[in-house]
Amino acid sequence: MPHYARGGFSRLTRRLTRRQFVARSISATVGAAALTRALSACGPTTDSNTALVIGTPESPVTLPTVGEPIADGLAPESGTLSVYNYADYVNPETIAAFEEQFDVKVELSIYDTEEIALAKMRSGGVRPDLIIGLTDSVLARFVAAELLQPLNKSYLTNFGNVIEGLRDPYYDLGAQYTVPYVIYTTGIGYRTDRGVDTSAFVGDEGWSQMWNPAYAGRAGVLDSYRDTISMALYRNGVYDPNSNDADALAQAGSDLEALAEAVRPQVDILAYQEIAAGNRDISLCWSGDMLAGVGYLPEGTSPDVLGFWYPQNSFTANDFFCIPRESQKPVLAHALVDFLLDTDNSLANQAFVGYQPALDALTAEALVDAGAIPESLVSSLVTPASFAAGKRLVSLTPEVDALWLDAWSRFTTG
Amino acid sequence: MSTPSPRSPGRTPARTRRASSTPSRAWSVFALPGTAWLAVFFAVPLYAVAAIAFGRIDPVFRNALPAWNPLRWEFATFADVLGEIVAGELRGVAVRTVLFVVVAVFCSLAIGYPVAYYLARSAGRTKTLILVLIVLPFWVSYLMRMLAWVNLLQRDGLVARFTSLFGIEHNWLDGSATAVTLGLVYGYVPFLILPLYATLERLDWRLVEAARDLGASPRQAFWRVTVPLSRPGVAAGLMLVALPMLGDYYTNDILSRSPRTEMLGNQIDFYLNAGTQPQRGAVLVLVLSFVLACLAWWYVRDNARSQEVR
Repeated sequence: MPHYARGGFSRLTRRLTRRQFVARSISATVGAAALTRALSACGPTTDSNTALVIGTPESPVTLPTVGEPIADGLAPESGTLSVYNYADYVNPETIAAFEEQFDVKVELSIYDTEEIALAKMRSGGVRPDLIIGLTDSVLARFVAAELLQPLNKSYLTNFGNVIEGLRDPYYDLGAQYTVPYVIYTTGIGYRTDRGVDTSAFVGDEGWSQMWNPAYAGRAGVLDSYRDTISMALYRNGVYDPNSNDADALAQAGSDLEALAEAVRPQVDILAYQEIAAGNRDISLCWSGDMLAGVGYLPEGTSPDVLGFWYPQNSFTANDFFCIPRESQKPVLAHALVDFLLDTDNSLANQAFVGYQPALDALTAEALVDAGAIPESLVSSLVTPASFAAGKRLVSLTPEVDALWLDAWSRFTTG
Repeated sequence: MSTPSPRSPGRTPARTRRASSTPSRAWSVFALPGTAWLAVFFAVPLYAVAAIAFGRIDPVFRNALPAWNPLRWEFATFADVLGEIVAGELRGVAVRTVLFVVVAVFCSLAIGYPVAYYLARSAGRTKTLILVLIVLPFWVSYLMRMLAWVNLLQRDGLVARFTSLFGIEHNWLDGSATAVTLGLVYGYVPFLILPLYATLERLDWRLVEAARDLGASPRQAFWRVTVPLSRPGVAAGLMLVALPMLGDYYTNDILSRSPRTEMLGNQIDFYLNAGTQPQRGAVLVLVLSFVLACLAWWYVRDNARSQEVR
């Protein structure tokens, strides 16, 4: 046994003279102070003193302008365009067509939640040229963090194709920072060939199917605290996906705990793969997931095995394109946005992504007529009327957000 | 006074011996790379975690605001998280983590000991082949191996198709504890086998033969001689599997993703990576580090005692 293994510390200290002890203590203190100062320079240590500008359908907002849009008439940059996006949220073939047209490369980076995207972009861990998939539930924080640049519409010749109601959206009047990408609602996706009781999908009780122990081990919910908690709120008749009611949110948290106990759901955003592959029978998901799932069905499986319940009382959303303030290729980023706003390109993109493009020409009827939608999934299409009727998830104030996160923590701890 | 003074001539030879066996200062230079490595990759990151744990959170963006100066540390969140571990919503996660790890370690030992014993005693020419087979999975990343299991265990996977031939329909990936525990066992059992094999290989088997000569049955010889002598290897193996299991999160992430199988590592991942509550994540890292340090300390002590006995 080494001689210092037992009582080694006291022996060592006994060997030190007083002078050595004082000298080493001073060295340690100075070293620690220097380290502290060095580390302090690594990141923010004080609160951001920022007020969020949050738009709601009842109270639209013009977001504060940070910086200037790029100048008109610039040529697209060459090289590699870095795009930050959800997984499987753009058609590789459409991207390949863009690459060929502009003789550039597109490099995709993936994020799982908007909160992660915000955290990584604020920390500088990710510096994309274009970000796809943000919603108005985080837009206020992205703008407050000064992460986005105002767009130059002169590069967006296809902007007129966007759904009329979203050309001047409540969350960003004048569409200074955002261009709509897709529209969708949140509902329940399921397999039609696995004995899911579709007759139970009626009214708010339809949500209760997610609590049905018959689906234990075969269910999933969205890894999106806003959507999953909203499901629990709607089930309880609270039709407010931005609720600040602490009691209602606490109840939703308890209900989700019960759901975890009864069903052991998988928590992710992979319903489009898992249901299609047959690993899951039922899942809280976005309407586009089931449309995307068609492409993930095993060979020879009919698309009719996929179904979607569109709730009567719903919450709807649209994702959008944004260009980060530090984009190194802003002209090329504008070019890709414009490329995806083209009706034909957008239709090709929809064939892979599943989600409905936010374009006037590509209505639910047009998609059905184009044969892009299986009959069993026509119910998942968002019409102008249903889109308008759905409540919108908007940014929450930090205090209200904390209530939501508390409820979510109760669920995720199982 | 008859007791010799430390300065008495009788002590001089001992002092001389000690002085000559003390490493010169020049040799301590060799410790510099290791010390620097520890400082840069262990001490500083650990301090950063503490600064986040005892710091604050930006109320708007929910990012960590580390308190680098210990005089400004705030302990409210630390106390909250500890309280939740003891009697709050994190207690279930903590208990579940310990339970999963205990079961997985026990299963690993039950699988690993016979394999290591066979390797050391009876494998003969096949020893090298078996060792290669044990090490072979390490050539593939842990993540890929787990994803492979997902493919095997999913509903139309090979395992399900095979068991259905015998009328057994079972959904392995149903968010239950079984899949996660078995995943932990599969992922870490080689770490237990290898140190155990090394110990058994070096074991003085003449002692076992002596026990047999003295009338012990094979079973008695095994339990009274082999097992006690292999204890250092068992302890090393248990440490090597238990420590990473306690902080594991991707096994659950891949094989379950259910809140009912969340482990402490998953909560840390959730708090830190979801970008919403990094302070709580940092506190959990500290708590977990403390538990792991206690286990490591126990191992070092146990190992030192074993060497003393020898």
